[in-house]
Amino acid sequence: MTAELPGERPRAAASSELAGLLAKVARGDEAAFAGVYDHFATVVYGLVRRVVRDPAQSEEVTQEVLLEVWRTASRFDPSEGSARSWLMTLAHRRAVDRVRSAQASAQREARAAVAAPDYDVVAEEVETRLDAQRVRRCLDALTELQRESVTLAYYGGYTYREVAALLGVAVGTVKTRMRDGLIRLRDCLGTDS
Amino acid sequence: MRLRRTDPHTLAGAYALDALGEADRENFERHLLRCEACRAEAASLRDAAGWLAEPATAAPPSRLRGQVLAEAARTRQQPPPVRVTERVRRSWHGIGWRAPRLAVAIAGVGMLLALALGTLLISTQHQLRVQEAHTGEIAAIMNAPDADIMTVHARTHGSATVVMSHAARALVLTTARLPALPSTKCYQVWLMGTHRIKSAGRLPPPKQGMTAPMIVAGLAAGDRMGVTVEPAAGSTSPSSTPVLMLALPAD
Repeated sequence: MTAELPGERPRAAASSELAGLLAKVARGDEAAFAGVYDHFATVVYGLVRRVVRDPAQSEEVTQEVLLEVWRTASRFDPSEGSARSWLMTLAHRRAVDRVRSAQASAQREARAAVAAPDYDVVAEEVETRLDAQRVRRCLDALTELQRESVTLAYYGGYTYREVAALLGVAVGTVKTRMRDGLIRLRDCLGTDS
Repeated sequence: MRLRRTDPHTLAGAYALDALGEADRENFERHLLRCEACRAEAASLRDAAGWLAEPATAAPPSRLRGQVLAEAARTRQQPPPVRVTERVRRSWHGIGWRAPRLAVAIAGVGMLLALALGTLLISTQHQLRVQEAHTGEIAAIMNAPDADIMTVHARTHGSATVVMSHAARALVLTTARLPALPSTKCYQVWLMGTHRIKSAGRLPPPKQGMTAPMIVAGLAAGDRMGVTVEPAAGSTSPSSTPVLMLALPAD
């Protein structure tokens, strides 16, 4: 069967479906694991690629993430958050670990130059899928400093101290903008569906 | 860069974005252990952050699917988290124990028990007298020549440390950093054998995240010890998935 992308179905359904797949994967069900791949490989790879940038490394990290899903599916605990959130956390952490461990700080400074305008690239590349549109709309509702703080950290893989340096604002300001920005994003995503 | 103490609450956003350095992250995670509201906020912000991946969606090279599925097929999966992660076995005779004094004994068991006992021992004089007999039993188990020491991590977070005497068919249990419960709930300890499950009583309320040593007696060969979340009054049989489970050594 051709897999539908999760964005083409209601978001809650995609996540509860993933939870169901993970329960089967935890019992060694390879077909269920293929289902996880078919539904989520594009969003995992896309995120990893955004953070890591190098295509070959992105492929490696994506493979690591998905194998971690295979190995640790029994660790997913629905009482701690949604299946989707669990998966995206694995993916983002792995991607961030890769850029933080692999690159010397000098290279990371250079990367800042390309990461900073990245929000526009993201905007350009937005697909017509509803989730992506909704996320973009919600990002647009953030203040500029909130949005830059959130996207530099999430897409750029920077620490909040690095984000503060990049934006030339106080560390404390960045921390609160990240939190306020995510709260606003959360509320927007939650009420907008 | 200035270094200063920060209010951990404000780090929830950076934490959800994986934007904390290692030291900051460890501090914040310690804070999360103590703050249920913060855990809920961090989880909701993580969920929101995860949606930021949507606009970045991109198809991986088509060969990746076959690689990943083939690699999974030859990769062993991890068991569910309810399991023993560490077992330290010591022969207490073998390291020359002579004087079975409680203070000496706890030094060998490690900080966890020592702190828990410390909490116990600094209670009021009255409580201390009431607990003297109890403390004597604890010392007897901990000083038993066949004592086994085990640490098991909980499925949630936190851990339990057990000192078990085979001869006495009893163990001493302390826990650290288990998630705090509302007043309507408690942690209940069970002995689970092949033919019966029996309650070993409720864990005492934690002090600074740790519970005072509790004696679980009447162990049978093949028993496992489990801890579940139950209504505050306790239950006659476990009503939820154990937050931790320990297979007791058989010899």
